[in-house]
Amino acid sequence: MTLFEFFQYVIIALYLMGMIFFIAGALKNSPIMGKLGNLCAIGGFALHSLDLLLAVTLYKGTVLTGGFFYFSLLGWSLILVYFGLWWKIRNTFFALTASPLALLLFVASLAAQSLKVTLPAHLAGLFIGLHIGTIFVSIALMAMAAGAGVAFIYLNNKIKTKANLTAFGKEMPSLNTFDRVNHWAIMIGFPLYTLGLAAGFLWARGTFTKMFSWDPKEIVTLLVWFLFAFLFHQRTIVGWRGKKPAILVIIVFVITMISLWGINFFIPTHHSFKA
Amino acid sequence: MDHNIYLIGLNHKSAGVDIRERYALTNVEEFEAGLLDLGVREVMALSTCNRVEILVVCSEAITESEILTYWANKCSGSRSDLEPNTYCHKDLKAVNHLFRVACSLDSMIVGEPQILGQLKDSYRNAVEAGAARVIINRMLHKAFFVAKRVRTETSIASSAVSISYAAVELAKKIFGELKGQKAMLIGAGEMAELAATHLLNCGVEKIRIANRTLSNAQDLAKCMNGEAIPFESLYDYLSDTDIIISSTGAPHAVIKAKEMKKVIKKRKFRPMFFIDIAVPRDIDPDVNSLDNVYLYDIDDLKDVVEENMSQREDEAVKASSIVESETLSFGNWINSLDLQPTIVDLFNRSEGIAQAELAKTLKRLGDVDDKTKEALEFMALSIGKKILHEPVTFLKRRTEEEGAADRFVDLARRMFNLDNDTIPPDAHCKRKKPKD
Repeated sequence: MTLFEFFQYVIIALYLMGMIFFIAGALKNSPIMGKLGNLCAIGGFALHSLDLLLAVTLYKGTVLTGGFFYFSLLGWSLILVYFGLWWKIRNTFFALTASPLALLLFVASLAAQSLKVTLPAHLAGLFIGLHIGTIFVSIALMAMAAGAGVAFIYLNNKIKTKANLTAFGKEMPSLNTFDRVNHWAIMIGFPLYTLGLAAGFLWARGTFTKMFSWDPKEIVTLLVWFLFAFLFHQRTIVGWRGKKPAILVIIVFVITMISLWGINFFIPTHHSFKA
Repeated sequence: MDHNIYLIGLNHKSAGVDIRERYALTNVEEFEAGLLDLGVREVMALSTCNRVEILVVCSEAITESEILTYWANKCSGSRSDLEPNTYCHKDLKAVNHLFRVACSLDSMIVGEPQILGQLKDSYRNAVEAGAARVIINRMLHKAFFVAKRVRTETSIASSAVSISYAAVELAKKIFGELKGQKAMLIGAGEMAELAATHLLNCGVEKIRIANRTLSNAQDLAKCMNGEAIPFESLYDYLSDTDIIISSTGAPHAVIKAKEMKKVIKKRKFRPMFFIDIAVPRDIDPDVNSLDNVYLYDIDDLKDVVEENMSQREDEAVKASSIVESETLSFGNWINSLDLQPTIVDLFNRSEGIAQAELAKTLKRLGDVDDKTKEALEFMALSIGKKILHEPVTFLKRRTEEEGAADRFVDLARRMFNLDNDTIPPDAHCKRKKPKD
């Protein structure tokens, strides 16, 4: 085992421990578990950042063509967004969404070591800076909004039906908090997603001489953008709150995940991961 | 044990409100001072609207009935009148009862935290008056520790068990912080007022009161530092109100779902929480089917309270077992108190022997420098202490066994003749005599 591999196992162990602490903390209603989870997440995130930095430094020329890098970066973005939320509302509840997804993505990144991404070298800098960076952060925000949406629907249903709350439900943040997280994630996520998409289309114009080539990934991404735009509009102009935006953001996130895991792996596309 | 612990008292279970009122202690300090004059070693009295408890540490010479007579006289009553309404717990049963009181297992509403604060106040007063000493100090500190343990290890106090608290808890589940929220009281029933007061205590920014008789609304608004509004313009204010408590005597619904659709659109779907305490109900039940609108009526709140009550009862079983184990551990400490004089006597005896033997040795050695003298003294005392280490540990362990303390302490005193009994030379002659 190389030092690099050992390093990655430590990150997995820390994310896994963090996830266990977060879940146990939420079920057992224990703030100490939440704190331990946070410590593990901080440790894992610090090492993960170093791992990404090392990958960029060591494989300068080839890192952007390696599929593992993208999964790893998306997982890293999720934890980053979680820390932002934790700083804002001081509640570890959103780690229940972030930590399992980050762990899954990091493990997937290791499994995807041999996967290659087609990338014109001369546009790599712009591509990574705008397209990947903004899209990944907006997906991470989407994940948080979807997590908050699921929690909102659960709690809303409990309150509406007058069902007694379990220990898990009692320690959940309020409906307003979930809605606020959904609001923030959409308000920041949609402009970022739009910017990422614009950068992608510009890159496509330079590479394939046309912006839109009916690529399956492009079609699904546009569908997501339209739904996201509708959600953004309804929240800002109509004033949607609560259940409706919660349901819609879950749909948007599910489509995005299908696109990431399904289209990238199984359907021929410009974004294909090839072994 | 050369001391007795008594806990004599009455509470909501043992006595009616008239008796509780008559035998409540108006001047606890004076009461405690009187008991100290009577000859008790330590005393602490607690007097609340639901209970009067007198915790006393005294010698065998003072009896339970003397304390009862003193109490009855202090309250200008008679012992025969007081006695049937009281309970008396002795020694570990008294300790157990005190722990149960501190954990709120003996309260009218199990798990309510108020009693712990009252107990702390009583203890502070007893300490300041010099009425609480070694045993009561330790007992009360242990009681506070047990109460904390129960609160940490069980969820005995985690759910609301009154209608108004349940309403506030639900509001928090919807809005999070209540700071900055606006509330409205429609009608002015007693329970609605109570719920509104709780909301205000939790930081609700503004309270509006709507009543068919505007002057009544104005009077109430004055008390609550709120704003009275005309009943007819209720809907105009609803769009700017987050929590609504309704308790009018109206025969039909005051707030209708159809009208609420417009209101909720006007307030851009910000959540609203309705608490309908009126019978017949003031708010159309269909209101609950609207998005971001939550309606609880009196039956819903009662159900929440009842479910919470039954959860508390389950938790009370866990809490009782904690109290039992902590009582046993306190019993061990009490037993070790009985051992303390024996340990002191043992070490004194050992030190006396060591000093005597050291004097003889030094005399035999003649001229010895100070350093050697010091070393010899240290050695002699150390040998004495080290020889006693195992027997003392043995005694400490034995005193932790139920009923063994007195027997083993007595045995140790006899073995080392700590009481300097003179044994007649023929004391064991009969036992030594061989059988024919």
